[in-house]
Amino acid sequence: MIEVENLTKVYSSKSGIFERQSVRAVRGISFHIPAGGAVSFIGESGCGKTTVGRILAGLESASEGVIRIGGQDVSRVSSKERQALFRTVQLIHQDPYQALNPARSVGQSLLDPLKVMAKTKRVGDSWIRDRANEVLTMVGLDPNSVIHKYPHMLSGGQRQRIVIARALTVEPHVLVADEAVSMIDVSLRLGVLRLLRNLREKLNIALLFITHDVAAARYVGRDGEVHVIYRGLILEKGETDDVIQHPQHPYTQALLSAVPVLKGLEIPGPDRYIPLKEMETREDVETGCLFVSRCPFARDICREKSPLLTGEGHEMACHFAQVRNVVAMPVVAD
Amino acid sequence: MSVENKVEDFSTPIGVHVRNLSVVYETNQGQIPAVNHVDLDIAAGEITGIIGESGSGKSTLAMALMNSVSKPGRITNGSVIVDGIGDMLKISNERQRRVRGKQIGFVFQAAQNSLNPLSRIGHQVLDLGRSHQVGDLRSLLRHARDLLIRLGMDADRVLMSYQHELSGGMRQRVGIMFALVLDARVVILDESTTALDMLSQASVLEIVRELHQERGLTIVLITHDMGVVADLADRIVVMYGGELAEEGPTEDLLRQPQHPYTRGLIRAIPRISGNPDEAIALNGSPPDLQTFAQSGCLFYDRCPDRIAECQAGRPIYKEISDGKKVACYKVDRRD
Repeated sequence: MIEVENLTKVYSSKSGIFERQSVRAVRGISFHIPAGGAVSFIGESGCGKTTVGRILAGLESASEGVIRIGGQDVSRVSSKERQALFRTVQLIHQDPYQALNPARSVGQSLLDPLKVMAKTKRVGDSWIRDRANEVLTMVGLDPNSVIHKYPHMLSGGQRQRIVIARALTVEPHVLVADEAVSMIDVSLRLGVLRLLRNLREKLNIALLFITHDVAAARYVGRDGEVHVIYRGLILEKGETDDVIQHPQHPYTQALLSAVPVLKGLEIPGPDRYIPLKEMETREDVETGCLFVSRCPFARDICREKSPLLTGEGHEMACHFAQVRNVVAMPVVAD
Repeated sequence: MSVENKVEDFSTPIGVHVRNLSVVYETNQGQIPAVNHVDLDIAAGEITGIIGESGSGKSTLAMALMNSVSKPGRITNGSVIVDGIGDMLKISNERQRRVRGKQIGFVFQAAQNSLNPLSRIGHQVLDLGRSHQVGDLRSLLRHARDLLIRLGMDADRVLMSYQHELSGGMRQRVGIMFALVLDARVVILDESTTALDMLSQASVLEIVRELHQERGLTIVLITHDMGVVADLADRIVVMYGGELAEEGPTEDLLRQPQHPYTRGLIRAIPRISGNPDEAIALNGSPPDLQTFAQSGCLFYDRCPDRIAECQAGRPIYKEISDGKKVACYKVDRRD
């Protein structure tokens, strides 16, 4: 459905009067998501995962690389066609509190995109009403009770469902969910995750799931792929459960170790470790492995030579890739 | 460290005892009980996790522990007794002000809102010292520096920084430094890791765990994330609609949750091992204005195990076994 090759994004900013500073946010990323499939991008704040999502939704342009939506290269079509292509990719923002206009009711929020759709389909007002009810039902809300409500009258989970319903009005082929559940109460998160999973199955929508929460990625895309991204580069990728159960890159292992252990129900993996050092964004070092300053297994070669993605199916970029048991295991009932 | 700081005795941790505490918010629609007759013992030297959804009153309870509930909130009833200090709600304002920061440290959810954007971190340490009559400011700054190094940061750079120059995880660590720099014995962390990504959250929690062991601190961890308290806390208190639903030792509570709400919360956590479909979403919405008004059990609307009795009145919060308390009619019946 959507194919991306060698996507690169460089931001440049002024530093001083004459100098310009450039930040490489995305460093050559390739992936593809089939219709109904799921790819999760996992990484911490500032790793470039949001930039990838914004480029795919057409909100930013790539510095380099090819994006094909439904087989068409977006850089080789007219701007009108490009607009139509990008409309099939809808972005779901992190913050449902800011994504909805507080002065407009749910019905009004859904109306605008539906009017556009009605115009292209040459159908009347009754279609708009039916469709509004349909998308609201699809996201698990009762249309009659929410359609006249304003965002402040809804809980975080309900608001995020409205945002998803709004995205569905234009009949997208791809949803980009950027940290879509991280602002929602943990107790309500699972409902929204389940909704995303259902949309994949029912409507055959491809999902790009951007998150820092490995467990959430596993829930929505267990049959899909996980890509672990660090400072704009993919460090490890493969089938979801293969990466989670047999992580080989120390960074993936750190991310998995960071998942809280439920005392009494689980025992932490024997190799669990949590790096206490923060990611250094100012680091100028461009040679060698990007993770070297935080890696407990780093040796001299890691500073000199950049590791490349290797492996079949399950790929990782590390000189000393090795499976370590960091995932907490359930306690066997006694 | 100044002489008066040195008097602090690290060997005896301080506990906090909340009795019959009520806080209401005055609104146009009348009074909303945010905290309703809560009795809670925060054991000295332990990590107590208080868990609840948005609107459960957990943050209001945290502010009430320091008697600093802001308007339109008002403490209407009860007492908060801090070991060695007395009732926070009765002692003089000046004494309260000194206790906050000196004995009780507070780490906020959004550290960027609790730091002064116009002043360097180092200057803010000095401000704190002056407002608490610390004689030797130089050694206070040295103490702050040691703490920052302990928290895994480049201390000199951080002290010279403005808050916007620091990342989210670093700001939270600075928040912890401020809570500890006057050698507070009780530290309250209110959703301190919620805005952070998994890795920063894990490292901040790891630091909290280590500091707790090193200094014998009494820690109150307030969050909506069951995972966070399940990993760190010695004891978990579950709050719902301004009242306590259940409490008990962490492992016990996770293994044998008694209240249907607790069970629902635990079940709703997606895991990275085992069958992901075992996770089941919690029904309904967090409590709102209407919830508080009803006379029966607050959880009635969302409860999968409700019985007719539940609508009759509030279930009584009582001890069911050693250290375990729960408010549920179903549990009463089983006995």
